[in-house]
Amino acid sequence: MPNTATRSGPDAPPPAPPPAEAAARRPAASQLQRRGARLGWLFASPALLVIAAVLLFPIVFSVVMSFSNVDVTGSGIHLSGTTTGNYGILFDSPRWRHALYFTVLYTIGTVVVEIVLGTAIALVLERLKTGRGWMMALLLMPWAMITVISAQLWAYIYNGVYGVLNSVLHPLIGHDVNVLGTPVEAAVAMAAADIWKTTPFVAIIVLAGLVMLPGDIVEAARIDGASAWTTFWQVRLPLLRPTLAIAVMFRILQAFGLFDLPFVLTNGGPGTSTESLAVLGYRVLFTDLKFGPGAAVATSTAVLVLLGCLLFLKVFRAQVGTEEN
Amino acid sequence: MSSSTRRTVLAAIGTVTVLTAATACSSGGSGSSAPSAGPAKGTITWYANQFGPTGTDVRKTLITAFEKANPGITVKLEQAPSDSDAFRSALTTQISGGSSGFDVYNGDVVWPAQFGKAGLALPLDKYLPASYWKGFSSGLVDSVTYNGQKMAAPLFTDNAFLFYRKDLLTKAHLPVPTTWEQLQSEAQTLQKDGAVKYGFAGQFDSYEGLTCDFTEFEADAGGQSVNTAGTKSTIDSPAATKALSYMRGLITSKVAPNAVTSFQEQQSESLFTSGQVAFLRNWTYAYADSNSASSSKVAGKVGIATLPTFAGQQGPGYSATGGWNLYVNPHTKNLGASVAFVKWMTSTVAQKIIATQGGEIPSNAAALADPGVQAANPAYPIAAKNKLRARPSNVAAYSQVSQGIYSNVNAALTGSASPQSALSAANKAIDQALGQGGL
Repeated sequence: MPNTATRSGPDAPPPAPPPAEAAARRPAASQLQRRGARLGWLFASPALLVIAAVLLFPIVFSVVMSFSNVDVTGSGIHLSGTTTGNYGILFDSPRWRHALYFTVLYTIGTVVVEIVLGTAIALVLERLKTGRGWMMALLLMPWAMITVISAQLWAYIYNGVYGVLNSVLHPLIGHDVNVLGTPVEAAVAMAAADIWKTTPFVAIIVLAGLVMLPGDIVEAARIDGASAWTTFWQVRLPLLRPTLAIAVMFRILQAFGLFDLPFVLTNGGPGTSTESLAVLGYRVLFTDLKFGPGAAVATSTAVLVLLGCLLFLKVFRAQVGTEEN
Repeated sequence: MSSSTRRTVLAAIGTVTVLTAATACSSGGSGSSAPSAGPAKGTITWYANQFGPTGTDVRKTLITAFEKANPGITVKLEQAPSDSDAFRSALTTQISGGSSGFDVYNGDVVWPAQFGKAGLALPLDKYLPASYWKGFSSGLVDSVTYNGQKMAAPLFTDNAFLFYRKDLLTKAHLPVPTTWEQLQSEAQTLQKDGAVKYGFAGQFDSYEGLTCDFTEFEADAGGQSVNTAGTKSTIDSPAATKALSYMRGLITSKVAPNAVTSFQEQQSESLFTSGQVAFLRNWTYAYADSNSASSSKVAGKVGIATLPTFAGQQGPGYSATGGWNLYVNPHTKNLGASVAFVKWMTSTVAQKIIATQGGEIPSNAAALADPGVQAANPAYPIAAKNKLRARPSNVAAYSQVSQGIYSNVNAALTGSASPQSALSAANKAIDQALGQGGL
């Protein structure tokens, strides 16, 4: 998973240096260490090979494919030449630009709401003295449900003829409500389904962060006379930042790959207004069988989301830095 | 990892398998150039989605009859996705990945050009004599031909019909509509009288089915989306504007529910079988479904007719051609039995089973003309009167052409674009697809 890779990048502590006392006995120890390391690599190599085969090679291959002229044939996929033409097609395509715009907007919208709601729920859960386990189990049900299935349930709710939403709203406004029939409402309806599903996930992560906070600092703030509100904003939230960063990164990576919800709920419609990058990539690859441009959609999406995450981390760290100074 | 990356990864894994398989096969593959398909015995797998009425599985009936007629061959049925696009992705990944896990597969009528270009189907010319292809109804063999090669054998065809509520029309003393204008006004009368909630339902979701519906309305108005040579878009025309404006008008006049813009076959049919709509545009199977007491509240009250056309045009209205073909996996390890299976499935015996028990229009002309078959389903004599219009699927980039049609038409139907601007956008998208460009 790229997110863990990014996490343990520049942020992570360097591998434990040998303790100072060991420096005197370096030769013997280092030989032993080297032998141990060799043995370690040897034991790990089958697993690493499997990982390389199922993860690294396909990723590299899809990048290569996005820079080649690709022909799909019954005997396989043939690559020829090196070209940036696939990306040219992308950047020229209003459909791709719209998918990018929609995906970015959707990601920002849902992640912001989910983080705010999730944090609020986590704060409530933390205060719960009894039944916290039960509440968590209940909360996690939407998260545990397979998205295509929950999306189908939402499709029943949103259905413009016999949907629950329509039967509630119809008597109030006097006509049928077809939320999936207009671009903005369809996007909002989709975001609602997403928020319903993923907010609990954010809440659990934030709750874990809250529980781990050093109690004495909060205690000290309270003794100093800070209100609960001030304690939260000035003490707990800054301490929670690393946890929130993890939650945000997880969510950005997932939201950016939005596929199942539009696939089930709107088919990318009305028109192509809710066509996400992943749906577009899927269609170009598997409906139109255009593997070159399809690989370019997939590769550019991965690069864009990684850039987005790096940018977020950078802004985030800069902010934390100023606070710490 | 994002979904799209994951999908590419899957594609790439498929490709890796292919590359190894391709090298492995290249030495042994030369034997298959012999015209003989090999001995017709052993076990083959038929990868097929369900067709016909939902109550019985006609595929199993066909397999049993085939095995009885061909004692040396066993057929295993593998369930395929019912969604045409999902089925195509499954086929593409498996076949281009070198899979011989299935030998014969069902495929949509609009796939021969695309599959032919990508080599995902085995051309059948070498294994089936010229006389064999003369047995099909007219036009069907052309529809499976790409670059002069026959990529599939037609299994059954499908036509669109107008399904109407006999009881409501009789009660209101209204005739079965023969023009779209008449249909709209009759629907409004029925709605005003409180006889029914909605007047009309079709398939207006942003998907392939909308291309079918739109092709019919457009043909009725005297237009077509792509020129006959398959080189240029002709969708930005007064005829197409008339068709699209009428379709949008069905929604704004509340004859069709707002939600029709998210209806596929199933949603439109269930609205009809629940008794909430007077007229339905749907395929052949809807007759059996809507008249079946177990699944329909309007069983016995449903009539079937050719689709209407626009006022001033020669009736009846056009029906899009649908249906499914049998394709042979190029990686099959049992070509002999596969060809025997394809041949038997398109024979008069099998085609009569498909017609009488499967509720689908047989592709075999002799089977369709059989009086027993004609009497089996009121749809068949009406199908004989239908004027047919194929979707522009003779081009390899058809899926992209169709996407250009349905997504823009759907946008206009929901009101998020005007018919005029939607058609001009569709025009651009189609031309780009035909020029092998764009996404």
